[in-house]
Amino acid sequence: MPLDYPIHRRTLPNGLRVVVSPDHTVPNVTVNLWVGVGSRHETLGRTGFAHLFEHLMFQGSRNVRSGEHFEALMAEGGRLNATTWFDRTNYFETVPTGAVELALWLEADRHGHLLDAVTQENLDNQRDVVKEEKRQRYDNQPYGTALIDVYAAVFPEGHPYHHPTIGSMEDLDAASLADVHAFFRRYYAPDNTVLTLCGDITPDAGFELVERHFGGLPSSAGKARAHHAQLEPITEPVRVDRHEVVPNDRLHIAFRLPVDETDEFLAAAVALDCIGGLGTSRLVKRLVRREQTALGAHATAWGLVDGASLGFVVLDVAPGVDAATVEAAFAEELDAFLAGGPTEVELEASLAQSERSWLSALASQEERADLISHHLLLHDDPEVVNTHLDRLRAVTAEQVVAAAHRWLRPQSRAVVAYLGSEDAADENSEDAGSEAVA
Amino acid sequence: MSLVRPQVAPPRPWTYPVAAEHLMGNGVRVLAHDLPGQYVLSLRVVVPTALSAEPPGKEGIAAMTARLLDEGTSAHDAEAFAELMERRGMVLGAGVSDGGLLVDVDVPKRHLETAAGLVREAVADAIFPETEVRRILRNRLAEIEQERASASHRAAKELARTLWAPGERAALPTGGTRETVGALTRDDLVEFHATSVGPQGATVVVAGDLTGVPVAEVLEGTLGTWSAPRHRQVPPPAAPVPAPDAARVVVVDRPDSVQTEISVGRPGPDRSTPHGWAPHPVISFVLGGSPSARIDAVLREEKGYTYGIRSAFRPRVAGGSFVTAGSVRSEVTGEAVEILLTILDGAARAGFTDDELRAGVDYVAKTAPGRYATADAVADETAALALERLPLDFTTRTLRALPGLTRDDLDAAYRRVARGEWTVVLVGDAGTIVPALEGRVAGPVVTVDL
Repeated sequence: MPLDYPIHRRTLPNGLRVVVSPDHTVPNVTVNLWVGVGSRHETLGRTGFAHLFEHLMFQGSRNVRSGEHFEALMAEGGRLNATTWFDRTNYFETVPTGAVELALWLEADRHGHLLDAVTQENLDNQRDVVKEEKRQRYDNQPYGTALIDVYAAVFPEGHPYHHPTIGSMEDLDAASLADVHAFFRRYYAPDNTVLTLCGDITPDAGFELVERHFGGLPSSAGKARAHHAQLEPITEPVRVDRHEVVPNDRLHIAFRLPVDETDEFLAAAVALDCIGGLGTSRLVKRLVRREQTALGAHATAWGLVDGASLGFVVLDVAPGVDAATVEAAFAEELDAFLAGGPTEVELEASLAQSERSWLSALASQEERADLISHHLLLHDDPEVVNTHLDRLRAVTAEQVVAAAHRWLRPQSRAVVAYLGSEDAADENSEDAGSEAVA
Repeated sequence: MSLVRPQVAPPRPWTYPVAAEHLMGNGVRVLAHDLPGQYVLSLRVVVPTALSAEPPGKEGIAAMTARLLDEGTSAHDAEAFAELMERRGMVLGAGVSDGGLLVDVDVPKRHLETAAGLVREAVADAIFPETEVRRILRNRLAEIEQERASASHRAAKELARTLWAPGERAALPTGGTRETVGALTRDDLVEFHATSVGPQGATVVVAGDLTGVPVAEVLEGTLGTWSAPRHRQVPPPAAPVPAPDAARVVVVDRPDSVQTEISVGRPGPDRSTPHGWAPHPVISFVLGGSPSARIDAVLREEKGYTYGIRSAFRPRVAGGSFVTAGSVRSEVTGEAVEILLTILDGAARAGFTDDELRAGVDYVAKTAPGRYATADAVADETAALALERLPLDFTTRTLRALPGLTRDDLDAAYRRVARGEWTVVLVGDAGTIVPALEGRVAGPVVTVDL
């Protein structure tokens, strides 16, 4: 079934790239903006700033008081948020059709005139909120900081993906109002932003509204730097052991991958599916089902643009089992995959699961708008929503083997191991009660 | 240049999608939602049961039965079954609530028949192989440890244990405890499956783009052949009885925690409440549904103590709760709890404002078309209606009741729940928390181990 979500595209004279994708099945419109700034743009001593800035975008602008952005849209039936990631910051709301112009007016006010309203008080308050966000999502969770360790282990110091989006709290403490002003002037401008309208609106009406509210903003973003060159795979295994109080040992086994939207990245992602991403992956079959040395096995490939992507496998080690045994089995399975390549059934399963998850994402107007903005901002190709599955179908077993040989060799792995401390291990073996059942 | 703030045109009237209803030969009710453009179909199977009818000492058996449905059938072993699903892009989950078992499947449109056939196999012909039983039970025991390590899970468990009377099923985790799961055998599971999982009273929901899909034919040929001769329906569950000493503060000691997880609860209604459900989501929104809601306006936007605290009514099939939950940094726990309880009690004392009523009603009513825009969301809601034994026009009727709500309706609904007595659970560093609570909370503070 070929996909044919409509993509109408226009670029305003100030550089704002706009897509309107009509869909009249629901009386809603999603407004989705991606700004070309993420944690990859942050420099040493200034980490976490893109995300802190995102919070400030809800604290008022020239004609909007602090908190009013949320209140005004929610009272009209809007559902909204914003997120920051390595490669970008996004802002989005889904509103009833009749409120789309209000949404655009609010967005234009903060994307054009934020600095009129930013205060030291708001900066201090949102810095505290972000610190609580870090405590809640990272510091106070078992294994919560594992991915931060993964980034640091896989990417060299100074590389855009070496540090996490949440950043360092010391750096946030150092952030001043002057930094907020400089950051806004450098990155927040129509020529570094894309805007998608997806839903119950025609292209003519959509372009007219965007032009009316965003047409007057000046193109003022600084020149974008070139992407980093593709990072080669790691040559010697990297290892980080953390001894913490955790319910069971957990291994994160990570690899550098080719940048997103390349044939090689797609092939490497399929390889990771076969090894650990599928419900019937080799690691699940062997470690979870047959040997039962792992409680779970998962694999993920995150496509990124700035010189590398990231792939990783997470293995939850069963209580009482040595993590080294599980890691050795992982290496064996990796070697076997490199030697024999994927089976036809594995390729079929990987494609079928990717197809369902892609179609499920597109089924929601919000996610469709986000995927359009994503590929418009980072790859200048919003049609990817329609063509991605065709590209996946074209991936061959040979490409998968070749990508795995280049990117997923055992010596190219970085392992971050969260291991229960000696005391914790004693306690666990007593409490887990695995003997009682087995 | 800035333009004048635009006016908002009122939304068109909207109703929840109407399902086509059909009764299959074996008595299973089918509810089909044709949603053009939704190419991934959502299939749900609802089997009414009552968690309270689990054999004493074997709590968790229903949840473990659900998890084992696709781990080996008379036709396929667990690996073969998983492979069949995966090659068709199908994903299956199964779980239980207080009032039933729910199987949850998403699958691309062209594979509906395969998926429905596999679901029939799972619910009808699961054989509970000994090795899979051992593995799933062992994984549940490990999961219990993982839940203990997570502050939010640990808080939810302690809240249930404190809020509901001893002996109430609701006081224990749905998936059972170390003791009760440890007591389960394969024979228990086989027997429970044979007598508790069957087509009597069951409902199948299918939602998505059904153009060209012969739904009745596909389902008759698959789930329509489901039979379970020993299946017997049990009476619907009753609302759990609150504990006589529920109004107290329990600190779960989680040494060195940088935050305190706060969970404040009270018994609440289910969605069939004779007073009407409509005020409840409005109250949730006004108190704890956004950064501008009463709680976060103070604890997040003014004080910066939290990333966000949410309040919500949590209806069960029978009864329910009203829970406010979130985390604050450890040092401010005492002050944060005092502020939070003051806000919760203050709303009961002084009532809600006209602005709050309007904003909350508009939010809940006007977000409905978007909240129910995907096959997945519609299938979930219709399955919930079936599980809760609610009429199929419930969702639309509740939405229609919203514009007529008054401040008195909101105040009355909230005062039925908020009586100045709360169950407060705090998961964090007891050494920091307990002294800080002195003079800030009423009654004794009990500390328990993680």
